[in-house]
Amino acid sequence: MRTLRFAVALLAVVVLHALGVRLVPEFARSVDLFFVLTVLSALGGDSLVGLLAGLTAGLTHDVFTAGLFALHGFADTAVGYAVARLAQRLLVERARGVLLVAAVASVVQQAILAALALTLLADPELPQPLWIAVQAASTGVLAATAFTVGRRLRSGMAARRSSRSRRLHLD
Amino acid sequence: MSERHTAWLLVAVLLGQLLLLSVEAPSPSGPGDNVLESTVLRALAPVSHAVASLVGGVEGLGGSWRSQRTLLAENRRLKERLRELKLQQIRLDEMEAEVERLSAALDYQRSADSTLRVADVVYADHSSWMRTLLIYVGDHPAVVNQPVLSDDGLVGRVVEVVPGYAKVQLLTDRAAAVGAMIRRTRRQGVVRSGPDGLQLDFLPQQVDARVGDEVVTSGIDGIFPRGLPVGRVASVAEGDELFALIRLRPAVDFGVLDQVYLLPVRSLPEM
Repeated sequence: MRTLRFAVALLAVVVLHALGVRLVPEFARSVDLFFVLTVLSALGGDSLVGLLAGLTAGLTHDVFTAGLFALHGFADTAVGYAVARLAQRLLVERARGVLLVAAVASVVQQAILAALALTLLADPELPQPLWIAVQAASTGVLAATAFTVGRRLRSGMAARRSSRSRRLHLD
Repeated sequence: MSERHTAWLLVAVLLGQLLLLSVEAPSPSGPGDNVLESTVLRALAPVSHAVASLVGGVEGLGGSWRSQRTLLAENRRLKERLRELKLQQIRLDEMEAEVERLSAALDYQRSADSTLRVADVVYADHSSWMRTLLIYVGDHPAVVNQPVLSDDGLVGRVVEVVPGYAKVQLLTDRAAAVGAMIRRTRRQGVVRSGPDGLQLDFLPQQVDARVGDEVVTSGIDGIFPRGLPVGRVASVAEGDELFALIRLRPAVDFGVLDQVYLLPVRSLPEM
C-alpha cells in the first residue's frame, strides 16, 4: 500500500514538473518536486524508505535532464537516508520543523550535486547562490505545506472512522 | 531490515551510482547510451507529451478569442510578408539555375536535397544546468547525432532515442560544441557554451570579426551541414594569450520552441 502511494505521488510529481517547466521558464531551477517527495517520505523515520525514495525520485529526475544519469539519484539517495536517520532522533511534528529540515536538506543536496559536477565534469556550470536559496526555500515551504495538508487529511479520516465505529456500536 | 543492513545497502547503492556516473562522465562528443535511462524515459515520455498536448490545447483556446482587429492586422502583415517571400523566391530560383549551370560546366556533383521532418517539442528544460529538449517523433524514429533546427537556425542534435521520442542536446548545453565559421570572412572556429552564453572559440587575437557578423556552421565536424545559422557576433574582446573572446547572440530563441525540424544524418564520404 505504501509502495502504491509512493508510485502515485511520484507520477503526480512527474506531471506537475512537466507542467511547471512548460509554463514557467525558471521552474526547474527554483523548485525540485522530486526532492520534496524524497524528504516527505524520509520524515517517517524509516531509513530504508528514505533511501529507496531518494533513489527512485532522484533517478526519475535525472531522466528529465540531459547529461549524467544518476547525478540526482546519488544526491537524493544520500540525503533521503540522512533525513530518515535524523527523523529517528528528532521528533518533527510541526510544519516549522519540516520547513527547516527540508530547507537544510535541499542545501546539502545541492552541495552534493555541485561537488559531483566539479569532480566529474570538465567545466561545470554551478548554480548561483540566489537560486540555491530559492530552491531551499521552495523545498521547505512545499514540504511543510504538504506535511500540514497530509496531517489534516489523516486526522479528518481518523475522526470520521472513529465516529462511524461509535455509531455502529450504538446501533 | 536492520539499520546495519540498510547502511550497507546505502553504501552499495551509492557506490553503484558513482560507478555509473564515472562511466558516464561525458567525453567531448557528449552523453552516451544508458539502458536504465532509456527504459525510464520510454515510460515517462508519454506523460510529458500528454501534459504538453493539454497545455497546447488550452493555449489554443485562448488564442482563438483574439480580437478581430488583431487578426485583420496580422492578415495584412502576413500578406505583405508573402509578397516579399515570393519576390525572394524568384531571385533564389534564378540563382539556383545559375548554380546548376555553373556546376554542370565544372562537372561538380551537388549533394542530395535535404528533407526536413517536423517534430513537436513535448518537454523543454533550458534553465537548469543541463540544456535539453524532449521531442515527439512518432512512427519515424530519429537517429543519434541527427541535427535539429528551428525556423531561425540551429537548435542542437539528437543524443538519445527511444520509441516515439528523442532527447535533444541544445546548442546552449555546456557539453555541446559545433564547428562554425564567420560567414563574411569564412574564418573557422568552435561554438561552445561559456559562462556568459555562446562563444566562438579558437580564433586568434587578430581575427577580423565585427559585432553583427553572422556565424554559421562550417560543416567540418561531421554532424552539422554547412551554412546553418548559429548566431551573430555580440562582442569581440581580448581573451587569453592566443585567442580572442568572441561572444555570440544565438539565432534561436530557445525559450519559445514549440516545433523543431530534423535534418537527415550526414554520412561522411569515403576516403
